[in-house]
This record gives sequence, C-alpha cells and structure tokens, in this order.
Amino acid sequence: MIAMLWQNIDYVGSVVLFCIGLYCVITKNNLIKKFIGLNIMETSVFAFIIALGVVDGGEAPIMGAGASAPFTNPIPQALILTGIVVAVSTTALALSLIIRIYEHCGTIEADELREME
Amino acid sequence: MKRALTIAMLVLLAMPLLYAMSQLPPHGSATSPAYTHISPRYLERGPEEAGAENVVTDVILNYRGFDTNGEVTVIFTSLAAVLAVLLAGRKGDERPVREPAAEPSPPSVVVRFVVRLLGPFVTMFAVYVIINGHVSPGGGFQGGTVFGALVILITVVLGRSVAEKLQPLGVRRILQAAAPLTFVAVGVLGLALFGDYLAFPRDEALAWVRTSWLMVIEIGIGVGGAAIISAIFWQMGGDR
Repeated sequence: MIAMLWQNIDYVGSVVLFCIGLYCVITKNNLIKKFIGLNIMETSVFAFIIALGVVDGGEAPIMGAGASAPFTNPIPQALILTGIVVAVSTTALALSLIIRIYEHCGTIEADELREME
Repeated sequence: MKRALTIAMLVLLAMPLLYAMSQLPPHGSATSPAYTHISPRYLERGPEEAGAENVVTDVILNYRGFDTNGEVTVIFTSLAAVLAVLLAGRKGDERPVREPAAEPSPPSVVVRFVVRLLGPFVTMFAVYVIINGHVSPGGGFQGGTVFGALVILITVVLGRSVAEKLQPLGVRRILQAAAPLTFVAVGVLGLALFGDYLAFPRDEALAWVRTSWLMVIEIGIGVGGAAIISAIFWQMGGDR
C-alpha cells in the first residue's frame, strides 16, 4: 500500500491539503479564517481532479502545427475552470455576508457572536 | 483539547481517503478510465467538430456549453446576491459614509506613474488572452480576470473615479450581464438557425462560423467577468 501511495503522491498531497483546510474550518474562530480554510479545501479538490487528467509526457491539449500525442485530458481542466468560477462566486457572497455581520454585531469572532444570541 | 480531538478526527478521515488513493490507477497512466472514456474522441475530433484548436475551449463552450451557460449565470447571480446583501436597508447605490480615521496618504508619484505605464500593456495582454483563447491557453474567464485585476489596481492607486471611467454608468449593468446575455444570444441563434439551443453549424464549409461564435462568447464572458469582478470589489468598499 505504501508503494502505491508513493506512486500516487500527487493525490496524497491533495488529501493532506484537504485535511489542513478542514482543520482551519473547525478550529479557527475568525469567520474570515474559517472561509480561507474552506477555500483551501476547494483548492485541494481542484488539484486532485486536475492531477487525475495528467498523462505521462502529455502536452497541453491544443491542436495545431507541431502538436504531438499524448495530450493531457481536457475534460478535468474544463470542469475545474467551472469549479474555480463557482468558488470565486461563493467567496464573494460569503465575504459580503461577513461584512454585514461585522457592521451589525461589531465582531466576526464565532464565540463572541454565539454569546450575543 | 479541542485541537487534539480535531486532529484525531482528521487522521480518522484521512485514513479511508488515503486507502482510496492507493487503489486508484497510477498517476499519469494513459490507460486510466478517466483518460480512455470520452477524452480520446474529444482530442481526435474536437478541432474540426467544435471549431477551436484548444480542446479545453471546445469542451467548455461547445460540447458542454450548457454547463458553462449555467456557470456564467452563477457568477452574475453572485454579483446580484452581493449587491442585495450589501445594499439591504440602505438608500440608493451608496455605502454608508464613514469618516476615515486618518486621511490615507496618496501613493507616491513613482507608483502612480508605473501603474499608468502598465495600464495599456495589461489591457493588451487581457485582449490577447480573450480573443486568442481558442488557439492558445486562455479564454474569456482568464482574460476577464486579468482586466478585472487591472481595474482593481487602478482603483487602489489612482482612485475609484478614474477606474469608473472604464465602465460608464449608463451601460454598467449591461456590461455586468454581458456573459449570460451573449451566451443566450448565441444559443437562441443556434435555436433559430439549426433547431437546437446552443447548436453550432455542423457543415464543414461553415467552420469559420463555429470559430467566430466561440469568439463572440469568449468576448462576452471576458467583458462580463471583468465588470463583475470590479463591481464586487467596489461594492465591498475596496477603494477605502
């Protein structure tokens, strides 16, 4: 199993990144830090799916003069382009909600917000 | 205590994930299911079928155009939601006026000069990335982001009033909706001419029509993306 993990070290990296992001989401008290953790988790998923499309010695999937097989898989790249844009959208919405929370309550620390209820 | 519990839970979570990773096909193998399913067909027929030499552009704008159509609607919706959240309970299009604690000193002459100097070159690079996206890495989203970053840079260094000249107030809302609007326009054109929403001409002689439709969508996405990024930045008070 260790040998297989070493072979798939790129995937292992994204698992580690995912856990780091989840750790931030759970333990950090500041809402912006929590959201940065969520962004790290998103990035790990993007990195994992992009890594799935890699082929040994593959070129960018752009045809034309001088292009030669093998090419990397274009589908993960197209899907992750969609994913990145959606991640940007959710980030913008979350940050604007955090701005409103700050204006309303004067703090963005999760425990202080809980005490206010 | 809480941290130790969290770390223990994360280790428990990582175990099955790592086990699953060890069972995947080796990284980079050309025989993995992800690579042998439909990708060979896209790679082989993409350029002549879908109209762009960059197969990623073929996939996002032609083969899976519905997906991208929904996606550009998502970013427009997110702008609408940001505006709704930040403007709720306020009058007009203005943020509450707050007295700044201390008047920020303007950036030095050197910074202002360098930004003015860079502006045209960044704009040219953004336009190149957008309109050359079908034959080289790039496309509407990437070029739009480059231009949006330039608008943010100008806002920070030269002030919002200078940056807003790039997006006149009268057409600003239309620019922000440019991406969904162009996508739907091309889709309806396909519906009218070829009988299916987002249908592209299949004829070999009409290859230039396919390519030019792709470019129209790319330009729409680029303009809309840049407008949305700068609008979100302004609305969050990034010029303070």
